Amino acid sequence: MGPITLLYELPQWMNLGIAFVIGIGFGFALEQAGFSSSRKLAGMFYGYDTTVLKVFFTAAIVALAGSQLLSYFGLLNLNLVYVNPYYINATLVGGVIMGAGFIMGGFCPGTGISALSIGKIDALFFLVGGLVGAFLFAETYPMIQTLASANYEGPLRIDEWLGLSPGMFTFILILAAVGLFWLAELAEKRFLRPDITSEI
Amino acid sequence: MNSRIKISILLAGVGLLLAFLPFNAARSFQLNPSELLEAAQNENQSFSVDEVARFVNNEDTTVQLIDVRTTKEFMESTIPGSINIPYEDLLNPDWEGYLNQNKVRNIFYSNDDQLATLVWTVTTGLGYSNNYLMEGGLNEWYLTVMLSKFEGEKITPRENALFENRYKARRMFTEMNSLPDSLKRQYLEAKRLEESQLDGGCE
Repeated sequence: MGPITLLYELPQWMNLGIAFVIGIGFGFALEQAGFSSSRKLAGMFYGYDTTVLKVFFTAAIVALAGSQLLSYFGLLNLNLVYVNPYYINATLVGGVIMGAGFIMGGFCPGTGISALSIGKIDALFFLVGGLVGAFLFAETYPMIQTLASANYEGPLRIDEWLGLSPGMFTFILILAAVGLFWLAELAEKRFLRPDITSEI
Repeated sequence: MNSRIKISILLAGVGLLLAFLPFNAARSFQLNPSELLEAAQNENQSFSVDEVARFVNNEDTTVQLIDVRTTKEFMESTIPGSINIPYEDLLNPDWEGYLNQNKVRNIFYSNDDQLATLVWTVTTGLGYSNNYLMEGGLNEWYLTVMLSKFEGEKITPRENALFENRYKARRMFTEMNSLPDSLKRQYLEAKRLEESQLDGGCE
């Protein structure tokens, strides 16, 4: 039955329209979770606030379990769901750059836009930096193309790589998530900082 | 009980259920044997090489020629406009966009009918639509399109059209396959790039 439609079967304006609606929902969820505060995002790095981990990991396991249940009941064909292709080298290098930018800027791209929309000036500069980076990447792409496309693995999933059934992988991931949540809460107590939000 | 513990137990319970459910999203045959047999007996499942030659000459975009031989054989010579889906790589998810669609008619061919028929059976069995064969494969293509000559005194308009079609396809085939390997590869890569859309995404 699902997915409702294939992306390329819709006209461009409708694709963008759907993206707009989903984007509003996503931005609202980010703002609701308090992710427009760079203090909250940096807290993940220093261990005093692990909301980021909890929100994103919860979203991941709920989506994972949900899509597999839907697939089991024949309501969603997971074969038609897009899996990001995996470029090992590019992912490693990109992950390091993204992580460094994350802790220096205090936002990730999505939350940066979310913070800009509530009028944060640091987010404005963060996004300008991001756009400059994107521009430089595009301009220098021919030079780094070898790195960018090295060790291409195709749309690989972890359960396929480990030879597990997808359900078993989901179960293990849920256990890992619950364990991490518990650890995260311990860290929050250990690295507790006074709440200064109300003072600013 | 703390609500965190409740939610954790709920999620772990769902996970445990999933871990023991048989997973059915793997691609599997959708047609039962009698349906497949019926599809195979349908006579409109193949095109003659003359029809394929006409598609090539007209650059007909409602068909997609698919060479199911190995990549090496494909690089040596192939019918212009074909893409290569080696039969041993058939179930690679990368090809699903080409195979599982309802826009163009996919025409499979190999050296003879054998591999192409195998591919036809698998794709049809998977429930994909628009699967066709080129009768006789490349052997028949060589005999009919590349080698046949008109011998006789007087040519009828019908024969004239037939041979003109063959000669045209023959010329295109020879030109395309006499390109050096690098150019051929560039041509094929450009075609592939065109197909793959730029995807990206993060939070």
